[in-house]
Amino acid sequence: MTTPGSRRTLVARRLLGALPLLLGVTLVSFTLTVHFGPDQAWELLGRNPTPEQVEQVQRQLGQDRPFLMRYGEFLQRLTRLELGHSQASGESVTGLLARTVPVSLLALAPGFVLGIALALALALAAAWRPGGRIDRLCRGLSSLGMSLSVVITVIALQAIFGVWLDWFPVRGWAVDNAASYLAHVAVPTMAMVAANLGYNLRFFRAVLVATINEPPARTALAYGLPKSRILTRYVLRAALLPILTRVVFSVPLILISGSLVIESHLGIPGAGRITFDAVTSGDQPVLMAVVSLSAVLFVVALTAADLLARLVDPRIRAA
Amino acid sequence: MPPARLPWLLALTLLLAACQQSEPEPLKVYRHAIDGIPASLDPAHADDVYAATLVTNLYDTLYRYKYLARPYELTPSLADGFPEVSEDGLTYRIRLRDDARFADDEAFPGGVGRPVRATDVVYSLKRHFLPDTRSRGDWLWRDRIVGLDEGTRLSDPDAPVEGLQVEDPLTVKIRLRRPYPQFTHTLAMALSAIVAREAVEHYGRSFGVNPVGSGPFVLARFDESRAVLEPNEHFRRGVIDLDAEGYDPARHDRFGLARIDGLTFPLLDRLEVHFIPEPTTRWTSFTASSGVDVVMVPPELSERVLAERDPIRLRPEIASRYRSWHGPEAGFVFHGFNMDNPEIGHHPDPGRAARNRALRCALRDAFDWQARNRAFYHGLGQIFPGAIPPILPAYDPDADADSISHSPRRARARLAEAGWQTDNLPRLVYGLESSVHQRQMFEQFRAWAQAIGFPASRLEARAYASFGEYARALGTRQVDLFLLGWTLAYPDAQYSLQLFYGPNAAPGANSFNYANPTFDQLFEQASSLPAGPRRTRLYRQLNRIVIEDCVIIGSLARTRLFLWKPHVLMLPDRDMVGGHFLRFVDIADQGG
Amino acid sequence: MKAPATTHKLTAGGLRAPLAVIAVYLVAAAGVWLGWWGTDWSGIQASGRQPPSPEHWLGTNLLGQDIFSRLLAGTATAFEVGLLVSVPATLLGALVGAFAGYFPQRWPDAVLMWLTGTLDAIPFYLFVIALSYAMRDHPAAMQLAMIMTFWTLTARIVRAETLRIRQLGFVAAARVSGLGSWQIIRRHVVPHTVHILLVQAAILFVAAIKAEVLLSFLGLGLQDGVSWGIMLAEASQEILAGHYGNFVAASAALLLLVLAINRMTDELQRSADPRSRGSADPAARHEATRA
Repeated sequence: MTTPGSRRTLVARRLLGALPLLLGVTLVSFTLTVHFGPDQAWELLGRNPTPEQVEQVQRQLGQDRPFLMRYGEFLQRLTRLELGHSQASGESVTGLLARTVPVSLLALAPGFVLGIALALALALAAAWRPGGRIDRLCRGLSSLGMSLSVVITVIALQAIFGVWLDWFPVRGWAVDNAASYLAHVAVPTMAMVAANLGYNLRFFRAVLVATINEPPARTALAYGLPKSRILTRYVLRAALLPILTRVVFSVPLILISGSLVIESHLGIPGAGRITFDAVTSGDQPVLMAVVSLSAVLFVVALTAADLLARLVDPRIRAA
Repeated sequence: MPPARLPWLLALTLLLAACQQSEPEPLKVYRHAIDGIPASLDPAHADDVYAATLVTNLYDTLYRYKYLARPYELTPSLADGFPEVSEDGLTYRIRLRDDARFADDEAFPGGVGRPVRATDVVYSLKRHFLPDTRSRGDWLWRDRIVGLDEGTRLSDPDAPVEGLQVEDPLTVKIRLRRPYPQFTHTLAMALSAIVAREAVEHYGRSFGVNPVGSGPFVLARFDESRAVLEPNEHFRRGVIDLDAEGYDPARHDRFGLARIDGLTFPLLDRLEVHFIPEPTTRWTSFTASSGVDVVMVPPELSERVLAERDPIRLRPEIASRYRSWHGPEAGFVFHGFNMDNPEIGHHPDPGRAARNRALRCALRDAFDWQARNRAFYHGLGQIFPGAIPPILPAYDPDADADSISHSPRRARARLAEAGWQTDNLPRLVYGLESSVHQRQMFEQFRAWAQAIGFPASRLEARAYASFGEYARALGTRQVDLFLLGWTLAYPDAQYSLQLFYGPNAAPGANSFNYANPTFDQLFEQASSLPAGPRRTRLYRQLNRIVIEDCVIIGSLARTRLFLWKPHVLMLPDRDMVGGHFLRFVDIADQGG
Repeated sequence: MKAPATTHKLTAGGLRAPLAVIAVYLVAAAGVWLGWWGTDWSGIQASGRQPPSPEHWLGTNLLGQDIFSRLLAGTATAFEVGLLVSVPATLLGALVGAFAGYFPQRWPDAVLMWLTGTLDAIPFYLFVIALSYAMRDHPAAMQLAMIMTFWTLTARIVRAETLRIRQLGFVAAARVSGLGSWQIIRRHVVPHTVHILLVQAAILFVAAIKAEVLLSFLGLGLQDGVSWGIMLAEASQEILAGHYGNFVAASAALLLLVLAINRMTDELQRSADPRSRGSADPAARHEATRA
């Protein structure tokens, strides 16, 4: 049995063990952006700058100071949770994230949840009779889904539902009330489902089929228990861990990096979009905040997955 | 049903319930669309058309261009009348309106906006010279206003500047070092918009997303997809006088503008500005039921919109459904050579310099502006020699068109005469911003170059993922051939000819790095002259020099073709008048 | 012993169709490399936006370039990118993975686990974009960026497999007979991971092609040349205006090739390990490696 105490030490140990990871992530991304990233000074200059002005802006961005010093200062600020201001707009990075992360969530979470629900339902139906008609359909569906590039899906969905049918707005995020939200969320939702269904379906089916083939399920089947009961009572429960783990690990992805292509092509002002802009323009404070935050979330997800594993399967003990 | 779907359905139901309680839409809403996203709303950063569109509505400038008068004419906005200029052209005395106030904001004591004063004008100009501002517009006034010389950095907004004096609470006196006939024009640019020091200091770094101005609107929402503006209660600029704005029934009657005469600004209850960089998406958003109200027709759609090009006639189904207007942009697009590279530009050896010129001229002859125009500009762009577009008074309609005529034969002859062969041609770097159109333009250019015997392998494309990176490449002279657009901030050829002025060389606006003492001397001479035939003659001579030297391939002034929904009463013009036109936009009584 | 038993199913019917499709693509690409066709993809041959005709099978694009030639040249580009990324990335992953797995709990292993963990925690596409940006002056920046991000999954899998192999009898025998670690890794460990490497290479091949499409679409892809991603980026500008040529050509080509390779990978995997449940895209690697 896991006691709350052992769980707490586990969390503490996990988080402590995550420090090198966090250092690694920030170091790698800091090096990339500082040493090799675009020089944002040029983005901030006017139409007719003088060499002195170029130098002055570069100095203001701290480009004249040694790398280690800058990295050290960054870490210091990070521990104080000072994320700074976007160099381009001057908006505080905290404000920027508070504004964009909810948009990403609102825009992408429905598709994410729906994609998983749909995949789970289909996978259950497929696992019911492996090799049957539904299973073959699912196989086709999942290989099609995995082969489609999200680029193609987004372009096609926008053309079909935004232009041809004119059901939903072509782009943007002019959300003022529930009706406008539903209209704007439709195309991103479909895109998310299309992007993830293939992978999810394949994964869930494999997990479910494997669980069905395990001795307890076979025994239950041999005893003549109804198949639907075995599926919902035993199989789903046993497969819960890998499925939940998968979900947990996807959360940082949509929360932070959003979906680059979906957000940038559909003009959704979410986290993925601003991160992409920050990469290409070299807006270091924004970029470093996003990367650090996603690393932290990643660690949280790791810990959560461990805890889940313990909850679901008491056999796993702290080693 | 899988359990995961339940909470979501529940949330949907709740949202739908909430929907019924949403408040009614305001009466007069106009959804404007622009093709880029402003990075910052700080006037000191507003040197592009996107930021300027918003800044001129959230802030006010001392002067602006008249809504309808063409050619463009200045008119006072925050100022009370035109400046009194001294005989020698060096002293400007500007009086402010006494009824102008900043919008209410927490930056002011009690949250109530205060009147705009002469000290605000002085502060707003000085602010460009404080390093923390990171001004993009200081070069407009540097070395012009006494006390703001080359290299001046103010460390303190209270530091006195000799040329910027407050005469009384509503009067500013500005002293210039030398005549600057374009000075009043610079006071109509968004960069010169008047800010309140309290607000700048209150918001600090985030001033760029917390605008506090004295313009017709205040900001309600702003993100990467749109800005929502609402009327500024304190905005008093009298009533609209259409005649004074240049109203001409013959030209403007079809826009339904007559009814706004005598009304007070602004006319809208809500102004939305949508940022849609993708051209075709802008179009589909316009034609879709729930989209924007105006579109600048993208070239991809010209077949569907135009029945005839010369003169422009719309297809009947378009003409019956929308209002339309077309006009030339205040600017132009061109290709240029990096004259700093001795492989193709200036060279100490006169013989090699002449051969380099032959190569540049050959590439210019190879350029097919008609095909470029057809593929990317509806076939409606105006092609003209050099850098003085037809919109400017100094434009010379009788100028020699050789420099813009496509002649591969002449190009080959030039190459042969100068001894250029496949094996001795230099390797050139062609810089482009990484967009679909710019890549296609490169492929077009490469095909033309190949047609005159310039091998594709000698033309290396280098794509830059953002404008900043492209600017860096130009500013550090890494690109031999480049494509640029230049938007005129005021209707004067001085603004485009400064592109070739030696002291402006990279990182300045002279991306050509053109260095010609004769040109520089004539340019300086022309710059301090008032408008008149003598200055026009000089401008034209300067233009001929750069054409003769084959520094520029160009140019083309795009034609802007706007369509908008009939219930919107306006004349959209993003050039010169820029964002200022939005305060005149009205919505017809029975909505669309 | 599993490895040698894998081959008998490979020729089974499941593989025939995907291999035939891949062969057709390979012929198309080889023709471009040999200069037989698709060489004039950049030439302006006709007026813009022509419908399909006997001269231009898929019509022309905005500039008047032949879309079919561009499609063929794009096929060659896809193979170039795919091979240039998947082969080095797989080899790198195999080497590092085998090394780390052979010395578990020692510093190479610790460094590897730290590095892969770090790379996993950075959002995948952001990392590729930042990397290709960092090396933007290099003509193969995008490919290098992909290699540097794609190897980790292979390394993890090979590491796990090596951990298993080194417990097996023949490795112990080799150790007793006095072979050095490096030789054991080379002669005994790596050969036993070949089936994994084949599958991994195929997976990375697909991932590279898809990533190229995405990066080119975002304007961060190839510096010069033509690819399906560039065609799709062009299509995204014109499809709403009713010009479908680029879109249909590039997306059909991409879809079919990826479908065929995924099918082939499935068959390979199934014959190697009937219970495997790998995921075919490093973009989904969080899920794949953790579940």
